[in-house]
Amino acid sequence: MVAATKNVGKVIQIIGSTLDAEFPEDQMPGLYHALEVNVERKVGTESHTDLLTCEVASHLGGGRIRAVVLGSTDGLRRGSDITDTGSPVQVPVGMETLGRVFNLVGEPIDGGGPVRAKERRPIHHEPAAFAELTPKTEQLVTGIKVIDLLAPFVRGGKTGLFGGAGLGKTVIIQEMIARIAREHSGYSVFAGVGERTREGNDLWLEMQEAEFKTAEGQTKKVIEHTAMVFGQMNEPPGARLRVALSALTMAEYFRDDSGADTMLFIDNIFRFSQAGSEVSALLGRMPSAVGYQPTLSTEMGELQERITSTTRGAVTSVQAVYVPADDLTDPAPATAFTHLDAFIVLARSISEKGIYPAIDPLASSSRILDAQFIGDRHYNCAKRVQQVLQRYRDLQDIIAILGVDELSAEDKLIVARARKIERFLSQPFYVAETFTGFPGNYTSLDDTIRSFEEICDGKHDALPEQAFMYVGAVDEAVEKAKKLQES
Amino acid sequence: MAKARQIVKRRKAVTNIRKITRTMQLIATARFQKAFVRAMATKPYTRKITELVEELSAATQGQIDHPLLRENPDAPADLLLVITSSRGLCGGYNANVVRAALAYLNAPGARPHELHVVGKKGIAYFRFLKRQLERAILDIDDNPRFEQVEPMVADFIQRYETGKLGRVYVAYMRFISTGRQIPEVMQLLPLSRETVKGDAAATKTAGAQYEFSPSPDLLLKRLLPQTVKVRLYQCFTDAAISEQVARMVAMKAATDAAGDMIKTLSRQFNRARQSQITMELLDIVGCAEALQ
Repeated sequence: MVAATKNVGKVIQIIGSTLDAEFPEDQMPGLYHALEVNVERKVGTESHTDLLTCEVASHLGGGRIRAVVLGSTDGLRRGSDITDTGSPVQVPVGMETLGRVFNLVGEPIDGGGPVRAKERRPIHHEPAAFAELTPKTEQLVTGIKVIDLLAPFVRGGKTGLFGGAGLGKTVIIQEMIARIAREHSGYSVFAGVGERTREGNDLWLEMQEAEFKTAEGQTKKVIEHTAMVFGQMNEPPGARLRVALSALTMAEYFRDDSGADTMLFIDNIFRFSQAGSEVSALLGRMPSAVGYQPTLSTEMGELQERITSTTRGAVTSVQAVYVPADDLTDPAPATAFTHLDAFIVLARSISEKGIYPAIDPLASSSRILDAQFIGDRHYNCAKRVQQVLQRYRDLQDIIAILGVDELSAEDKLIVARARKIERFLSQPFYVAETFTGFPGNYTSLDDTIRSFEEICDGKHDALPEQAFMYVGAVDEAVEKAKKLQES
Repeated sequence: MAKARQIVKRRKAVTNIRKITRTMQLIATARFQKAFVRAMATKPYTRKITELVEELSAATQGQIDHPLLRENPDAPADLLLVITSSRGLCGGYNANVVRAALAYLNAPGARPHELHVVGKKGIAYFRFLKRQLERAILDIDDNPRFEQVEPMVADFIQRYETGKLGRVYVAYMRFISTGRQIPEVMQLLPLSRETVKGDAAATKTAGAQYEFSPSPDLLLKRLLPQTVKVRLYQCFTDAAISEQVARMVAMKAATDAAGDMIKTLSRQFNRARQSQITMELLDIVGCAEALQ
């Protein structure tokens, strides 16, 4: 990691988690280069030395640079020696990273000993070349009815999960890991960006327990196909700003060098923007709309443009996006929006009804929700479902004020079907099996489309609403209705 | 912020709705009082005519025989007249009547029925169910007049007497009191002997002896059709009052619900506005700080 000729400077100023350093004018470290500085920390009477990594953010002139510190600045002092490593931060890549947990500089934090990766790669580099991009329009079937029908994932595309606090973004991400691993032979990379450390730990433990069957019928742990990188809430902004890039670098290796279907999960991209805003303030940039950094869309663009499918392999990414105060027009989620192929919007009003996944069927959509890509039958079915639900939503104010009796007979029927569809959009999850007691359910796309067509056609008008909760295909609803009637 | 503006728009819409529902509530109250007075005005007549029939029937020692008292077992079909309203916004009024009618029609062992429906709402509903309507009657509104009802009954009676109709039923909302109306399917024809005979012991005139001229038989022939007419007219007036009561109640509930909604929306709007102000202040303060 150390450059051939050791290039050493001095720390001359420390402000929060940024520092200024002075180097000889002819030996300036490049932008984004990693710098290392030893920090002496005292715990009680003991003291030990930590290696702290920084990243050059700007040149101030006169041999001075300003760098973002990627760790805690406790104990750092002016005058310390700071070394230029001659390259950006490098993280280990390759099969050795599977099953392990890293921090953003590529050190394992799972207590499993050092990672003997054959290769390390810098976290900053150019996105895939223009000519290498392969825009995909193939649907990635997840087996989750509401997603497959109304907001189909794009294989090799990007999907955002937008939602306020506590709506189940993380659960859906975990579920996607389990499902992709279960149904596909690919690898997953998980980036924990600025979320609760406890959640990261929960996820790690759960992934160690969660099992799936490979195509060969072997039982494997989910964790064996996953690499995880964490830079959680406790980390300084610099770390949270870069951790997504570290994870992305690992994913890029799987894409470019193994050619396997790779999944990149990021929880939570909003924290990336938030960290950027903190760093921006420390670097002395003037804040822009709603206090965000003026470079918000640049930063987002640099990250998102690298998450892309190329001629060599596909990266399918699922990103959770926290929506501050449930306001989708906030600049941070709005910026993430533009980059995505499919967006899944989680709604509080649905989670309040006890319907999980709490996906808003009308706000969620996908680029490939188009007859051209998914076929007429799927498209028409999705549109019909949306129409029924939209009509129900339009009528909701009338129902709230005047009561359901005022509706015409047709509208009453639409309302009844919409309520059934609403419930039918719920589905048991694999990862939630221990909590709900229902085994996870995978509904094939054909079953999904057929089921919704039948409900829209009124074939199941006689079933009670309750029968549609947490089932797979509509045949299960019919069976559940029978059981309900018996009991 | 777009959100605040949207909330204002919705609140305005709900406020307008509340204005309308409140007005309708007041109108329904006024109409109810009018209909009530009207219905009460016919009550003495109805009572008297019933008494008269009772007395006559007592005078004939129950030996009366009249086509309107006979069953028509060979007739091809019964008839059901469903009385609904032509106007909506009256809560479950129409739905309840139609439900009672349907329960009756779909009851096991029900005979084929000719379906006559009064009022737009009922017509629309039966059309939606793809039921065949023999007659859709639209010209009787919430202020039924006897002249309007009479030809209808005359037709029923005529067809009944010639044996073309089985029984005749009326599904309507019976008005018991302001607080209570029940959907009912009443048998109009044949007149049951009970209705005609009455409770002889309880009638105050039971002991009195009258001399009738012309004979009680002849009188009954004239009076029985009149009874049928009056009874049906009573159904219409009951339905009219019940409709107004239902509307009053429904509009009261709607006005209250709209009020609640306005409150919720106002709260949401205030919160949205406040957060917008805070955000703008933060922007200004942040910029001022950065410019120093």
